[in-house]
Amino acid sequence: MKRKRRISGAIVHTLLIIAALFWLAPLLLALMNSFKTNGELLTNVMSLPTELNFENYERTLDKMNYFRSLGNTVLLSGVSVTLIILFSSVAGWKLCRTKTRLSKFIFGLFVFSMLIPFSSIMIPLYRVVLALKLKNSLLGLALVYAGLGVSMAVFLYHGFVKGIPAELEEAAQMDGCSQLQVFRYMVFPLLKPITATVCITNVLWVWNDFLLPLIVISDSRKYTLLLSTNTLFGQYSSDWTAILSALIIAALPVIVFYALFQKQILKGISEGALKG
Amino acid sequence: MGGSRRANLRLLLFCAPALIVYFVFKLIPAVSGIGYAMTDWNGLSQDYSFVLFDNFIAVFSDTYFWRSVWFTLKYVAVMVVVANVIALLLAVAIESRRRAKGVYRTIFYMPNMISMVIGGYMWMFIFTQVLYYMADNWGLTFLDHSWIGDPHYSFIAIIIVASWSTVGYLMIIYMAALQGVPADLLEAAQLAGANSRQCFFRVTLPMILPAVTICIFWTLNSGFQVFDVIYALTGGGPGRATQSVAMNIYEEAFRGNIRYGYATAKSTILFVIVMVITLIQLKVMKSREAEL
Repeated sequence: MKRKRRISGAIVHTLLIIAALFWLAPLLLALMNSFKTNGELLTNVMSLPTELNFENYERTLDKMNYFRSLGNTVLLSGVSVTLIILFSSVAGWKLCRTKTRLSKFIFGLFVFSMLIPFSSIMIPLYRVVLALKLKNSLLGLALVYAGLGVSMAVFLYHGFVKGIPAELEEAAQMDGCSQLQVFRYMVFPLLKPITATVCITNVLWVWNDFLLPLIVISDSRKYTLLLSTNTLFGQYSSDWTAILSALIIAALPVIVFYALFQKQILKGISEGALKG
Repeated sequence: MGGSRRANLRLLLFCAPALIVYFVFKLIPAVSGIGYAMTDWNGLSQDYSFVLFDNFIAVFSDTYFWRSVWFTLKYVAVMVVVANVIALLLAVAIESRRRAKGVYRTIFYMPNMISMVIGGYMWMFIFTQVLYYMADNWGLTFLDHSWIGDPHYSFIAIIIVASWSTVGYLMIIYMAALQGVPADLLEAAQLAGANSRQCFFRVTLPMILPAVTICIFWTLNSGFQVFDVIYALTGGGPGRATQSVAMNIYEEAFRGNIRYGYATAKSTILFVIVMVITLIQLKVMKSREAEL
């Protein structure tokens, strides 16, 4: 019995290792081949590079305007997420603390719209973007992300505020604090755990979103990382060393982000999913 | 009454920023989309006329659209099974280990962090270069297929890449659920003589059923909107053989002949499909909760 268990444990472990290698394969193969010359790559894609040459990286850093695209993506995600947090924390709190028919209605409106799939509104949304002259504007795009992201965030904040007793806030108000002060100095610090979840899920969403920037941004100076990677792929479709090095540097920021905040990310993901 | 009016006014004030962006970028597009769907507007000219349900009627005879619907249904059905089974297997396998849980979790979740566009291009390298190399040099001839060019194999390729990317996400949810299964319950079952398979199907699976529901509906919902992975791998081709509904709409509206009114009619149909699924999900989850 015990022996049988040990054998089955060994089998499970072996399968896990194989699966893990399979999961890492695309990244490892891309990394390995990104250091080769094109000739070297074409003769053997499975060999280790003979030397670490960063020439491909130098080429692609320049070709895809890496630092500009990276800056654009950081700006876009940063502004979008800040707006989402500012707008929805105060709204979620007030919606939870106000018990009127209007508050129920507004909350219902936010929840209902979580059902609307992006691809079904993208065309009329594009019209709105054109009408407001936000095409090719990164800050405009951040506003769009705020509009698409607030409903889920309001829902999460609303749920979290429910678990915080209201007495303290009422006492502070008696002492003459304005509501905004109460929120700013008392409530918002208490919301930290859910703010972290909202922040992480939305940073990842905006950072990795492709379709919306593809529609809204056509000026190559405003390209996000994904857009410039995509363009590079279209232009150099047979130059694999260039493409692979581009893919590695495009994936690098998220991998670093993952390495730094892994615990919070995994916690935020499962919490966001189980509540949402 | 005066108190509640003041409360409402304050409420509106505090909700104003969220409400404004929400109205402008979500609600107005959603509502006006249904309006556009009833016009013959081409997106450019100033004048257009109402055609009521003509667009919807035209959609019904649009073979490319229904092919993309069929493709999407196939994709969703396969993903719901494949991604969830793999994710659950991985979660159970990792949870059964005493050591290195964190390492495995990190590895399997990693692709989910990377955009499907980047992941898709990395896999493109594997499908167009590495597999041929393996077939030629290692004698693995079963890999020798046109993975991107042949619609039959490119469907498999799309499933592989999409699973690679999403399984980690589902696995995290399953792991969280598995950790919630009380250990003494499993011990009691073992003492009662249940083997490990019985333990899993009779004790563990019923306990994690809420997570299974969440994961299945998440796969359904995101599956119906699939775009990135197909865009990166096949671009919907060869021809339109691997085109999903979202791609079909995108092409209709932003490439070639722009037919906005017609494309929004398609969007409206997609919206209805996704909404029906979500409503069923909410109902299923409610009745589950009532049972517990």
